[in-house]
Amino acid sequence: MEEITALKKKTIDSNLEDTIEIFKQFYSVPLNKDIIIRNFSIGGLDKKATVIYINSITDSEKIEEHIIRPLLMNSVSEKKLENISPAQLINTYEIYEDILQDINNGNTALFIDGEPKAYVFSSTKFQGRSVEKPLNEVVVKGPKEAFNENVIDNISLLRKKIRSENLIFESYTISKSSKNVLYIVYMKDLVNEELLKNVKSKITSIDVNAIQNLSLLEEYIEDKNTSIFPTILSTERPDRATSYLEDGYIALLMDNSPDALILPATFWSFFHNSEDHYLRFLFGNFIRLLRFMALMITLFISAIYISVTNYHVEMIPTDLLLAMSASREVVPFPSIIEILLMEIAFELIREGGLRVPNPIGPTIGIVGALILGQAAVEANIVSPLVVIIVALSGLCSFAIGDIKLNFSVRLARFIFIFAAAFFGFYGMTALFTIGLFYIVSLYSFGVPYLAPMTPKYISSKDTFFRKILKNEQYRPGYLKPKDIVKKKEIQ
Amino acid sequence: MNSMDSTKGKIGLKELLALILLDVGTKVADDTPHTFYEDFGNAAWIGILLIGLITLIPILLLTKLIKLYKDKNLIDIILHLFGKYIGFVLLFILWIMQVFANISNSAIYTDIIGTMYFNRTPVVVIYVVLVAVAAYGAKKGVEYIGSSAWVILFWVILSLLIILVVTFVQGEFTYIFPILGTGGWEIVKGSYNHSSLLTDFLYFGFIASNVKNSTVFNKGIWIGFSIVILSFVLALIGYVMLFDYYGVRMFDYPYHETIRYIEIGFLTNVELLFFPFWLVSSFIRFSFYLYLSALLFGALFKIKHFEYVVPALAALTMLVGLMPESAVFSMNKLKIIFLNVIAPVFLLLPILLWITAKLKGDFKK
Amino acid sequence: MRKFQHLSPILFFIFIIPLLSGCWDQTSIEERAYVVAIGLDKSKSGNENQIQVTYLLGNPEFSKKEAMTNEPPMEMITFDTNDVTVGKNKANTVIAKEISFNLLSVILVSEEFAKDKNFIRWMYDTTKEREIKRKTPVIVTKEETTKFFKQNRPKLESRIHKYYDYILKYGSEAGMIPNSESNIGKYYRTTQADASLYLAIYGTSEKSDYSRSNEEDSFMAGEMKVGEETNKVQFMGSAVFKEGKMIGKLTGEETRATVLLNDTLEMGAILATYKDPFDERYRITAKLLKKEKTDVKMDLKNPLPKINVSIPIYLDILTQHSMVDYANDSQKRERLKQSIEEEISDTLDALIKKTQEEFKGEPFGWATLARKQFLTIKEFENYDWMKTYPEIDVNIEVKVNIGNFGNQSDVPNLEEMRD
Repeated sequence: MEEITALKKKTIDSNLEDTIEIFKQFYSVPLNKDIIIRNFSIGGLDKKATVIYINSITDSEKIEEHIIRPLLMNSVSEKKLENISPAQLINTYEIYEDILQDINNGNTALFIDGEPKAYVFSSTKFQGRSVEKPLNEVVVKGPKEAFNENVIDNISLLRKKIRSENLIFESYTISKSSKNVLYIVYMKDLVNEELLKNVKSKITSIDVNAIQNLSLLEEYIEDKNTSIFPTILSTERPDRATSYLEDGYIALLMDNSPDALILPATFWSFFHNSEDHYLRFLFGNFIRLLRFMALMITLFISAIYISVTNYHVEMIPTDLLLAMSASREVVPFPSIIEILLMEIAFELIREGGLRVPNPIGPTIGIVGALILGQAAVEANIVSPLVVIIVALSGLCSFAIGDIKLNFSVRLARFIFIFAAAFFGFYGMTALFTIGLFYIVSLYSFGVPYLAPMTPKYISSKDTFFRKILKNEQYRPGYLKPKDIVKKKEIQ
Repeated sequence: MNSMDSTKGKIGLKELLALILLDVGTKVADDTPHTFYEDFGNAAWIGILLIGLITLIPILLLTKLIKLYKDKNLIDIILHLFGKYIGFVLLFILWIMQVFANISNSAIYTDIIGTMYFNRTPVVVIYVVLVAVAAYGAKKGVEYIGSSAWVILFWVILSLLIILVVTFVQGEFTYIFPILGTGGWEIVKGSYNHSSLLTDFLYFGFIASNVKNSTVFNKGIWIGFSIVILSFVLALIGYVMLFDYYGVRMFDYPYHETIRYIEIGFLTNVELLFFPFWLVSSFIRFSFYLYLSALLFGALFKIKHFEYVVPALAALTMLVGLMPESAVFSMNKLKIIFLNVIAPVFLLLPILLWITAKLKGDFKK
Repeated sequence: MRKFQHLSPILFFIFIIPLLSGCWDQTSIEERAYVVAIGLDKSKSGNENQIQVTYLLGNPEFSKKEAMTNEPPMEMITFDTNDVTVGKNKANTVIAKEISFNLLSVILVSEEFAKDKNFIRWMYDTTKEREIKRKTPVIVTKEETTKFFKQNRPKLESRIHKYYDYILKYGSEAGMIPNSESNIGKYYRTTQADASLYLAIYGTSEKSDYSRSNEEDSFMAGEMKVGEETNKVQFMGSAVFKEGKMIGKLTGEETRATVLLNDTLEMGAILATYKDPFDERYRITAKLLKKEKTDVKMDLKNPLPKINVSIPIYLDILTQHSMVDYANDSQKRERLKQSIEEEISDTLDALIKKTQEEFKGEPFGWATLARKQFLTIKEFENYDWMKTYPEIDVNIEVKVNIGNFGNQSDVPNLEEMRD
């Protein structure tokens, strides 16, 4: 093993046959079936040459047409290689390691007898999905393209929307053995230099063998690993990513990740949906209001039920109170256990529903929801009101589109239930205040989590309600962009 | 917590205003109105206006001093103007006042929560939760308390507005007559005695260096002052309109009686709807008080990271607050005496400071 | 990481505790017995310190949709005790669940108890009791409250709290009983203010005779003969309290007049009958509405104090058995107007006389209006409204505005028809 690592650092031999032998050794060639080593001689120069490439990740047609054929057909001598082959020449390497890296990336290496260097041509063609509809972030009105696992496709989608020379895609290799490449995307004339430096320093300080995709990378670069609220946004829609880029945010792209990471991310990034802006002013605000109500309902309703039935019975109007009392008389469990049972059942159904194979999917939905709930009520295990409450809180949690915030809310809901069981409204309010103090002191890459609501910054005033697009004039001040005015005032 | 912006740790106008409103405004909802009605009769609202007038001068002088000494807070000003030793004594007195206010108020609030909402729970538990939440907030720092205050300010004000509107509709306006209540001279005397209601404004001087700049501070103080006086006037009128002077005089906690009495449409018992809003503003208030006492303690004994004193102070507050047997009576009496005693301190201190600054010639620079 | 290994079981136990233990104030909703009405009577045992307390418990089963139970809609328990609060524990010797006053709709007091001079001490107990709201209506019953409860079996309202809510609401809209806002809170206020009289609702389940007179409503609860299959309980008229003790009664008509005079008592649309000036045999039914406030002018600084009251009333004439053509003749309308004004003024004057001579106090809320004339509370208290009121010269002026004459204003001419 050590021999091989030492060998990798050496420069290649001029002798073609020796070089090819060494490469065969590197790739364990008789064992490894998809490495192609093709020997031929260049016409005109009368030199022996070999191309090495990996079959499954290269465009073999391109290799044959653009690299091998012109070399074979060449009749003039003393021509520079660049002028013979129309294929894109990436580089010439002398060290084994670099050549290996490029061949592994899907490029083709050309070795000519007598020359102690290898010419590497671009011929990458990885297999993967094409650009499809977004699976998780669904909008009714708006573009329906999503990122896929091929980072070149993703870059193309972004460049399609921002056709500016200031859109920069910087690349970094972030892992040692798998050599995953990360792309940092930003608008050169907008982004804040310090933020960029901060992000880059975080990335370069990662010292790991493999980071396969963005979801894993997230944990390495986020500010606080144990916080209950997410501080980096991930989106699978290019239109969303571009709107953030144009405000001065930074995006991260990677191969094998059908999404982009946006940072820094405030609470409002998770709360907002791109559809709010695609709809008309009033409808967008209406949806925002609904979403806020859904957030409140899903957080509090189970906890309120527990507080009210145990501690604060006076609050319920008389008729409802008597009805609840009557229906609860036959239920064996105290209301806290009831709620917990139903909540856990709901979460199980939800998780199970995600993994159910397609053919059985709808059936399970009917079984789970209808029969389970109905049967539970009939068997007097739970009272019907609890079924409504838990179903309502579960459904409302779906209104929060972002999956990470969704989880935060679900977890928070359980904590509220316990607080309510302990101390009724007092416990709930105490927990809420603690949560408020906590969320206000969270930072995401230097930006306060609830900005620009507090502390105050110049911004497009698009926090809770959005404004008419004409009036959203400024970029977010907390990012300190270089150019803060988004639009000039329209006369 | 790396941050690349210069507003780190600074409070803006909105947060300062929210802090002022929630801190002083919550006084409308505890036992403070009780003593007002005893001294002023149903002219308590006139009393408030007079208190506002009396405290106008000290607050004005305070803002002038803050404007003069930019980036310094009241601690620095006191030490600068009065020197190390007198300044230390003065700060010590202020710190003791703050600690006492903490203890008596937290004991009274625990009593409110206990008697009005949680009859059988032992007082210790309620107290522990109250102090724990306040300590958590105080440890985080004043800019976060301010931010939290701004986030919920809208909802608290909304709930208060609803209560006021319903009270005015369901109450009798004629109950506020006779206009002068207990009589003109009584009102003036009582106003002087109760002017310590607004001592908090003096204490806001201690966080002046945390505010963005002195203009923001002054603006916040004045806007907060006017809104607080307005809300007090409206609330005091509201309570009398609903219960009449004779009844409201006997209530320990008029706000809570009000929310138990009013009905909104088909909801006959709305007190639990408004309870959380009052609770959150109380938590914010106590967080701020704890923070202030830790700040002063740190200034007295030269502790830079005074946040770590917060848990100790919190535990102290709770233990002392649990000592008296029935908080309602003993704490109330103590608090009244305390407030009467500190009224002159509050009124005189800014005047003294201002005169000293003038004499030192700092105004000419 | 070793620290965290022990953390999870600790957290688990901390979370389990509230689920398993009772957290002090925690009482589950179905473990409470809801008292819908409380009855207070004088103790039969002769013990001065005790009162007889009756709890009326509502059955929650009747609020469910499929109420197929054999349980009765309510349960009643009566016993002697010191006061309402300590009775809660005593009741648990018999009642299976924890007694809760959260749903209390009504407090009933027997007339005998209300006339007792110590009555006020027991009423003040309700201020200390956290679960009794200040808005609970107070009803004075002619007989003992236990009997009242037993006889009160509304046929169409099996949920007893609903019955009380509705009958008090609609009864007071007709003005027959003082506004159902005559509740405990107002009792305290009026008693402490010591300047006006307090009115409570009066009801009974006993029948009594009454002398038939021309007017429709000058009778008290129990005097209206109602036959057939309906509830025996009637609410009509009011009980008058002075300084916390009951001193007299007002009939339904007098109560209605009080509601007219007192702006703080809300009234709905009152239906009343008046003499027809053109035909002595018949009476006219009118709908009264008060759209503006009563105008009260007081002149108290005078050695002979005066009050001038002007009441604006809007009438819609609904029936006229005399078949006189009012709609088209303005002179006849004028006469009708004057006649009604006279009639109303007479009733009001009689009522005022009664309050000045018999009760020596007024339930019209004029004391609060009088407060406007004084600068300080001391002045007002020195004036002592309760004592000076009987001497005041009260003038009442009624202004009647006739609105429309029902759906169809024209009436056929009877003589023409029957020729």
